[in-house]
Amino acid sequence: MPNRKLTKSFTLVVFIAFMFLYPILSRNMYWIHILSIVFINVLLTSSLRTINLTGDVSLGTGGFLLVGAYGSALLAMKLGLSVWLSMLLGGLMTAITAFLLGFVVMRTKGVYFSIMTLLVSEILRLTMWYWKDLSGGSQGLNDIPRPNAITIFGLKTITFDTRFTMYYFILVIVALCLLALFRLERSLGLPWTALKKSDVLSESIGIDVSGYRHVAFVISCFFTGIAGALFAHYMGLLEASELGKFAMLSSIYIIIYMVVGGAGSFWGPILGAGLLTIMPEIFRPLKEYQPIFFGLLVILIMFFMRQGLVSLPHNLRIGWIRVGRHLKKYAVQRVSSR
Amino acid sequence: MFDITGEAIAQSVLNGFCLGWSYILIAIGLSLIFGIMNILQFAHGEVYMLGSYCVYAFSVMVGLNFFLALIISIALMALLGLFLERFIFRPLGGELLTTLIVSLGLMIILQAGVQVGFGVTPKSYPIISHAAVANIMGMKMAADRLMVVGISIAAILGLFFGLKKTKLGQALIASAQHFAAARLMGINPNLMAATAMAIGSALAAVAGGLMGSIFRFDPFMGGAALLKGLIVVITGGKDSILGVVLAGLLVGLVDGIFPVLFGPAVASIASLVIVVIILLIRPQGFLGHAQ
Amino acid sequence: MLEINNLSKHFGGLAAVANLDLNVKGGEIFGIIGPNGAGKSTILNMIDGYLRPTSGKVIFKEEDVTSCAPHERARRGIARVFQSNILFSDIPAMTNVRIGCYLHSGIRFWASFLGIKKRIDRQEMLLYEKAEEILKFVGLYEEREKEAASLAHASQRRLCLAIALAVDPSLLLLDEPLAGMTAEEVASMLIVVRGLREKKGITFIIVEHNMKAIMRLCDRIAVINYGKKIAEGPPTEISKNPEVIEAYLGAAEHAI
Repeated sequence: MPNRKLTKSFTLVVFIAFMFLYPILSRNMYWIHILSIVFINVLLTSSLRTINLTGDVSLGTGGFLLVGAYGSALLAMKLGLSVWLSMLLGGLMTAITAFLLGFVVMRTKGVYFSIMTLLVSEILRLTMWYWKDLSGGSQGLNDIPRPNAITIFGLKTITFDTRFTMYYFILVIVALCLLALFRLERSLGLPWTALKKSDVLSESIGIDVSGYRHVAFVISCFFTGIAGALFAHYMGLLEASELGKFAMLSSIYIIIYMVVGGAGSFWGPILGAGLLTIMPEIFRPLKEYQPIFFGLLVILIMFFMRQGLVSLPHNLRIGWIRVGRHLKKYAVQRVSSR
Repeated sequence: MFDITGEAIAQSVLNGFCLGWSYILIAIGLSLIFGIMNILQFAHGEVYMLGSYCVYAFSVMVGLNFFLALIISIALMALLGLFLERFIFRPLGGELLTTLIVSLGLMIILQAGVQVGFGVTPKSYPIISHAAVANIMGMKMAADRLMVVGISIAAILGLFFGLKKTKLGQALIASAQHFAAARLMGINPNLMAATAMAIGSALAAVAGGLMGSIFRFDPFMGGAALLKGLIVVITGGKDSILGVVLAGLLVGLVDGIFPVLFGPAVASIASLVIVVIILLIRPQGFLGHAQ
Repeated sequence: MLEINNLSKHFGGLAAVANLDLNVKGGEIFGIIGPNGAGKSTILNMIDGYLRPTSGKVIFKEEDVTSCAPHERARRGIARVFQSNILFSDIPAMTNVRIGCYLHSGIRFWASFLGIKKRIDRQEMLLYEKAEEILKFVGLYEEREKEAASLAHASQRRLCLAIALAVDPSLLLLDEPLAGMTAEEVASMLIVVRGLREKKGITFIIVEHNMKAIMRLCDRIAVINYGKKIAEGPPTEISKNPEVIEAYLGAAEHAI
């Protein structure tokens, strides 16, 4: 139906416009901050999905996030590079790390792959944690610079020292990354899906299975690294402890975002990351009980919507049709019983 | 590294054995649950953690004898396992990703629940004073560690004989080896799943209860315990109890001795690197079957 | 077309294949037969790259492909129909074949990445046409929209063949293609194979247990027992070869 595609594009446009206008309309610094975190999580979850397109689940998000974050922060701080450049280099560093580690990690599949990514991630984190010169140990790395000011058309200068401007910085970069991921899925999606369904058959029709898996891994980790760099320059401080953003629990949350949102669709991770990042904030009044409700919500969603939130419109439509059918049957019965 | 006494080494070996047996208890539970139900029960680490807190609640807060508290804790965790199987995992069906996310949700709930109930400061409940020393073969060793190792071994042996000598146990072994065939022979899959969850959770409770008596614990240790359990299952081979025992002891000894010899940095990273290497050259584990 | 020199494969201490020499000519239909467990599947696995030989060489179109991965051999023109029906089961037959056509489709990464609609549409059209042509040839055109898993066994076999044809092979390896087929289905498969040899010049290597069919179909046959070639030649010679008969009888004795 042409209708459906139109409504979809329309909602997307409205949504993007809302994201751009929100800070101007609302001025609520707290929610502007939360949304900035949402955007970073959206990028993280979408890049996790790239690996999932080839059929694997990576538990290593934390480790690669760390490489991008520390990479960009240290390049900017120790070598004095422009943050714009160091962020890109941070992403590239993560991609190169993924490329090299890929030769090791790609030799595993399925559950073993997941555990291998977890091990690799923890090795990266612990290396950084104990390399106190680089990471600052338990003090962490502080005073990470914001992106350098830019001048548009030689007229207006934008500095990035407020959360307000950083919101737009993050929004634009994440939007560009999502666009790239979307196009990448369009172009590489076919061999990825084929090898996900059957690697033996794909190999026999000329698809370089380990090559494509490697590429997916590197691409995913590149964007994870960019997300890490965004995180570093936004928050201004980093720490590599086992309770922080680079630890196992954090990687687990990203997987939850992806599956609850719906791993089968490009929009699923976006929906999942958005909703589940905002949810703990809405339930903040519950204080220490909040994670309990979070966990319950996750379990409930898995019980009733296995394909994730992204299938909600579809399920509602089916439910609606069923209700309509029941009503019709009831009406017919009433009429024929007279 | 060179001024370490022989006694310190002996102590660290004993620590390693304690750790190793607790890893084995956790790993057997994980492997049993995965083998029979084909789900990744990521909340298993929290069951271990709850084992410690249950013993704490009943021994320190209520005032019962440690062993009584341990038995109650085991019973409660077994019941928790049954509850989870019946009302959470069974209705979901066997899909791997769905059950994984649900178990992750459980993990979050349990971790937060314990935080709410007990706070975040680490606790412990020494049974015998840490300083109490037994004299074994002329070497002085910490009595509480010896007791922990002893009880752990007793638990594993108890499990081993329970599995071999009872009908339920034999059915469990059959199901773990070939679920479809066992089902065709009339073994009730729901009963098997329930038993696996109950036994697995009980073993985790044993480990938690024992470890809590010699080390301090906090609500966040479930994740590390789960990771160790996974590592031991992988290196030992998920088809072989003996493999898991060997791997558990190896990993435990490494965790006990390396920090003393090489310091925490090298120890923690080296132990992970070793597992990575094993995963690459022999992914089925020491005694597992090739895929 | 395909030359195998002194090929061996050892698993632990056991020799699954020992010192095999084969020479398959272009356009030939070459059969490989032998008792169960003789090593026939291992030979196929080494021809198309799923197993590395312990020693020896595989030479295809005068190039040494021994160290090439399966996908690389597919690019050079070796395709395979597996013993079990390996398909993309949850999608329609048509899509299965279209995926197979992807390899030689000439779809350029940058065109699809940047979303250049005209080029994409043109390339998609070509894929569709090619897939339709292949489906018609194997006789699956009517069932092309059916989900692969819902097809009957013989149709699934044909779909596997269609997917293998999608890579434009010059050498096609068939692993027990006639298993589980009725006499009618066997006859029509033989016609398809012969047709492919005539119309597209495809060389075939077929591993089969169906003696009658193999004898009727193949130009030459090699007989393998315990990993060694014990006979090679046209069907008439093979059927009279005393060693061959002994191998099969011997196998039958062991089976009892």
